[in-house]
Amino acid sequence: MTSSETVDGTPAVLPGERGELPSAQAVRRFTAAAGRTRAGAGVGSLLSDVYYAVIMLAIAVGVALGVAQQLRVALPPAPAVAAPHGLNLPTLVTVLVAGLVGVLVSLAGRLGPVAAGGAEASWWLSLPVPRRGLLRPAARRLPLVAAAAGAVVVALLDAGLLADGGDRVLRAAAAGALGSVLLVLLAAVGQSLGVARRHTALVGDLVLAAAPLVAIGLTLAGTRVGALPVPSWPLLVVAAVVVVGLAAVVDRRLDRIPARTLRESGSVVTQAIGAVVSMDSRELGRALSAGSESPARRRISRLRTVRGATSALITADLVLLRRSSRHVVQLAVAALVPLLATVVPQLAAPAAVLLALLLSGMVAQSATAEGARRGEMAPVLDRALPLAAKTVRRLRMVVPGGVMLVWNLVVFAGLGRWAADVPGWLALAVAGTPVWAAGAVRAAYRPAPDWNKPLVSTPMGALPTGVASVIARGPDVLVLGLLPTWIAVLLRTVSPTLLLVQAALAVVAVLISSSLATGGVMDWMARQQELLEEEKKKTGARTGRP
Amino acid sequence: MPKPVPAVRAQDLLVGYGGAPVCAPVTFTLQPGRALALVGANGAGKSTVLRAVIGLLEPVKGRLEVFGSEVDEREIGFRTQVSSVLDDDAYFPSLSVAEHLYLVARGHGVRDAWDRVDELLEEFGLTEHARALPVALSSGQRRRLLLAAGFARPRSLLVLDEPEQRLDRRMHARLMERLRAEKAAGGAVLVATHDPALVRGVADRALHVDEERCELLSAEDGAALIAQVPA
Repeated sequence: MTSSETVDGTPAVLPGERGELPSAQAVRRFTAAAGRTRAGAGVGSLLSDVYYAVIMLAIAVGVALGVAQQLRVALPPAPAVAAPHGLNLPTLVTVLVAGLVGVLVSLAGRLGPVAAGGAEASWWLSLPVPRRGLLRPAARRLPLVAAAAGAVVVALLDAGLLADGGDRVLRAAAAGALGSVLLVLLAAVGQSLGVARRHTALVGDLVLAAAPLVAIGLTLAGTRVGALPVPSWPLLVVAAVVVVGLAAVVDRRLDRIPARTLRESGSVVTQAIGAVVSMDSRELGRALSAGSESPARRRISRLRTVRGATSALITADLVLLRRSSRHVVQLAVAALVPLLATVVPQLAAPAAVLLALLLSGMVAQSATAEGARRGEMAPVLDRALPLAAKTVRRLRMVVPGGVMLVWNLVVFAGLGRWAADVPGWLALAVAGTPVWAAGAVRAAYRPAPDWNKPLVSTPMGALPTGVASVIARGPDVLVLGLLPTWIAVLLRTVSPTLLLVQAALAVVAVLISSSLATGGVMDWMARQQELLEEEKKKTGARTGRP
Repeated sequence: MPKPVPAVRAQDLLVGYGGAPVCAPVTFTLQPGRALALVGANGAGKSTVLRAVIGLLEPVKGRLEVFGSEVDEREIGFRTQVSSVLDDDAYFPSLSVAEHLYLVARGHGVRDAWDRVDELLEEFGLTEHARALPVALSSGQRRRLLLAAGFARPRSLLVLDEPEQRLDRRMHARLMERLRAEKAAGGAVLVATHDPALVRGVADRALHVDEERCELLSAEDGAALIAQVPA
């Protein structure tokens, strides 16, 4: 170790003679080269990966084209005379594209969009080399993913729902890709200017929440969009030039992004990728919520409703939900989706309404169980309060139940209008509410999948046995417990029998979700079979018969 | 003779998260060739002060300068001067112990970086694990790797967060020696610690970080305080 003067930025303590600083590319290359050496990946393995990626992409494009074709065939033609309070498909698609804008901005804010996770943050960011070169690959990742997603979704909507073809779909896809990249790049500029991630995410959430509200407003006002506005090729070229210019601005400003935001975003991205790879929606929700909320509260909740252990648990769940803007937006948007499906003449068929109700209901109920999800991850409150585990499960259904009751009343009032029987559908909404709450809590408390079990072939690729049943915990109760509701939607009518059966199934759903058993229905059946076999063997041994 | 520029100068510095301070305002000056120990109970805000000094946290209020300039870790000059060892536990899974140290040394422009890496491996008892990947190391060995990385690069200010954690007695003694040599070479040391021996043996002053009041103490008083503070 030698010492020198601290003059003009020369470090005082030098561990050795100082030479030239390496370039950022050299640092990246060194790290990547060491990784490649140990990965044992040769050219054959690389070609195999490329082949796999190309095949997967081709399958994805094929599936997208198939869905678009199916939609074209399945959708009835637009009615000759527009309904007074109806919505046409071009208006709906425009609203969906606006919703996509909100989702992209929200995700860009939560994921960075520029991030440096784990080792990169710890070992690269402290080096005195220009960060631009270190961060460039990370900065390209999200805009490219957004471009691909934007192009596919917009093309699918245009070709599938609006039955457009050829040049128009191509232009729509190009506009979707360019628009998506533009949004992510704008978020990156904001990040480099010091805009907090949670503010960008909030803007996205608000746009997402506004989209269906605008649609409802347009429906009530009787205003319709004639066709999805698709830009011409010259306009797309101009947009491409703007995107390239903005990309250059972001590239120049990469040096200005503070390490703290890069670290925060990197941590979220790492957690989110892990959750997606392990198909853990709970973990994904936690990753996307992390850091996007203010770390301190302006006002401390007085928790006035706490009277004892029971009310403490319910109050805690309620405070959690109230403080999560993402979940409140999720609930509002999900409530409006089935309503929109009922006012678009081509989508107002029972099957389409059922699909919209099922999907949006699942999205909504998952937003209500934040308390249960956190309790499953870190059961601090559960253990601190003198309550039995089964009682905790039941109490955790109170907040989801209350919120889903309001959600159900709003949605089923719309369905009642669609089926011309509002009181009957409201009664069905009340009868089915406990099932939604039970499904939410059952999904929140599902065990982690065991990835060490033998692989079995599934439509989603090779998966360990039992993973599918773990993932299905929660949705299984919804699908089976709301069977009378699904039948009512398909028949477009509510009968007293359906109401009674729905109320009975709600009780069963609550009992199932209160159970502490971790196995699924199939596991239970397998265990019963094993017990039966054992009993037979014992009986055989006693009687001397096989 | 002109007065030397302080390595760190904090004036009524308030640190915290989301605008909420975690401790009382701190005021201190750390000159080159000196060491200041931050002492206080767990959660008192010692690490938060360190994070503000190395630019990972924006101060809530007050003035904070490192070598006469406002803290901005985006500046290459800042990163050249300040070496920090926090409790990060993230490593490149496919880089060996020696390669991690080489990355730091070479990344800071150290010539003959492999020779320096060999010296550090020897000093921190990691020679046998030079080719090991981080996943194969114990928590103590990973801690030693982090410390070695802090010394693998040129620096004027060394910021350490509880460096005594997970070190055996021999390594602890070597660390003390290292830090004294750091001061002798003109480097400044800012260290958060719960170790009275480290405060007595290395620090010139101690700063008691507390929710109510932060005050500068002699090293001896700082060491004595650690014994009184509940863990």
